[in-house]
Amino acid sequence: MIRQRKFFPVLYMFLVTAGFSSVVIGFTEMTQERVQANARLALESAVLSVVPGAARAELAHLSGPAVHRRFTEQVAAPEASSGGAYTVRENGQIVAYALPFEGQGFWARIRGIIGIAPDKRTVTGIAFYEQSETPGLGAEITKPAFRNQFQNKTLALKEKPITMRRPGTPLGDSDVHAVTGATQTSVRVEAMINRAIQTWQKAVGTTDRAAGSPSRTGGAP
Amino acid sequence: MSPPAARPQAREIAVQGLWRDNPIFRQVLGICSTLAVTNLVMNTLVMCAGLIFTVALSSATVSIFRTVTPRNVRMMVETLIIAFYVIIIDVLLGAYWPSMRANLGPYVGLIITNCIVMGRCEAYGNNQPPGGAFLDGLFNALGYTFVLLTIAVFREILGLGTFLGMPVPFFSGPGWDKWIIMVTPPGAFFMLALVVWFFRWVQQAGEEKAK
Repeated sequence: MIRQRKFFPVLYMFLVTAGFSSVVIGFTEMTQERVQANARLALESAVLSVVPGAARAELAHLSGPAVHRRFTEQVAAPEASSGGAYTVRENGQIVAYALPFEGQGFWARIRGIIGIAPDKRTVTGIAFYEQSETPGLGAEITKPAFRNQFQNKTLALKEKPITMRRPGTPLGDSDVHAVTGATQTSVRVEAMINRAIQTWQKAVGTTDRAAGSPSRTGGAP
Repeated sequence: MSPPAARPQAREIAVQGLWRDNPIFRQVLGICSTLAVTNLVMNTLVMCAGLIFTVALSSATVSIFRTVTPRNVRMMVETLIIAFYVIIIDVLLGAYWPSMRANLGPYVGLIITNCIVMGRCEAYGNNQPPGGAFLDGLFNALGYTFVLLTIAVFREILGLGTFLGMPVPFFSGPGWDKWIIMVTPPGAFFMLALVVWFFRWVQQAGEEKAK
């Protein structure tokens, strides 16, 4: 009888593994498309959510396919002239640049989008579409309370375009409050945002103060 | 660990899993996940749902295969079966509830190493019929669930002033200085110790009375 043979456990293990694995592989294959679509959708909603105006207000009520349609209509992929940012247009006019950034968070990589107005100085919003920070602490970066702070801030033309300050301290034109109890997340997010913005400023040519548009009024300190 | 002479009644299995041999405060198994996911009630609920699904089905599956599985490879087979169910949960969450999968991070995958799952497969599924094994897994997981929810409710309210993300009166107000430590890992240790202490105290009081 085969069950008495020495090789039976090996054969058995092989068969059981093959059986269960094929079911898992089948499952993964079946949902593959959906998983990729979800990842894509997370990015697209993030881009649309940092844009000012009607798009953002309606976003919460839009279904997945509607978000995708709007993204395809309004957003142009990153290119050299936009410094690696997505360009968002409404009725042919550029309404914002959506600059992707990423870096190591406290637990894993954080990926997000920061929206910058056509004046290339004003922040229009921020969104995070991939993060594994501690729920209740670092993960608060995804909440409106943290994200809304960025709206209408001005990118400073210095080492740190955006500075995170201790919660409770007074804020300047380019400052936001960090997340309480999540110093590491805050420090890392600050660094990754600033890194992306600086690279972008160099690419689109806003680093040189003197070369800035003369019509600009009320810049950052 | 020899099988009991007669098949225990479903009721008996329920009492054991939920109370008398509760996996958290009697067996003290699965503590790692207890500490990790209990800072928000929602995360705890999903984690527990995943665990209920995994323990019940893997214990039953181990039981179905128990007569053909060679003794010397049984733990490998058990791990394989457990991993199988956990990956299915992970794949389903990724496809249909990506935000929750992002919230739970690596913890869903870690159900595989949750001691309760392996513990129930070894202690029960391995030598009992599938029906009983399913019930045993189910009630042990429910026993785990109610203890975890107790911990999570306290941690979220004391630490963040919310319940399922909704503000709780008083605790979300200015009169309550949020105990941030409650939502960090050390807070879980304090809460777990208190909860285990409390339930054991209740249990012991009940036993004394029965004498």
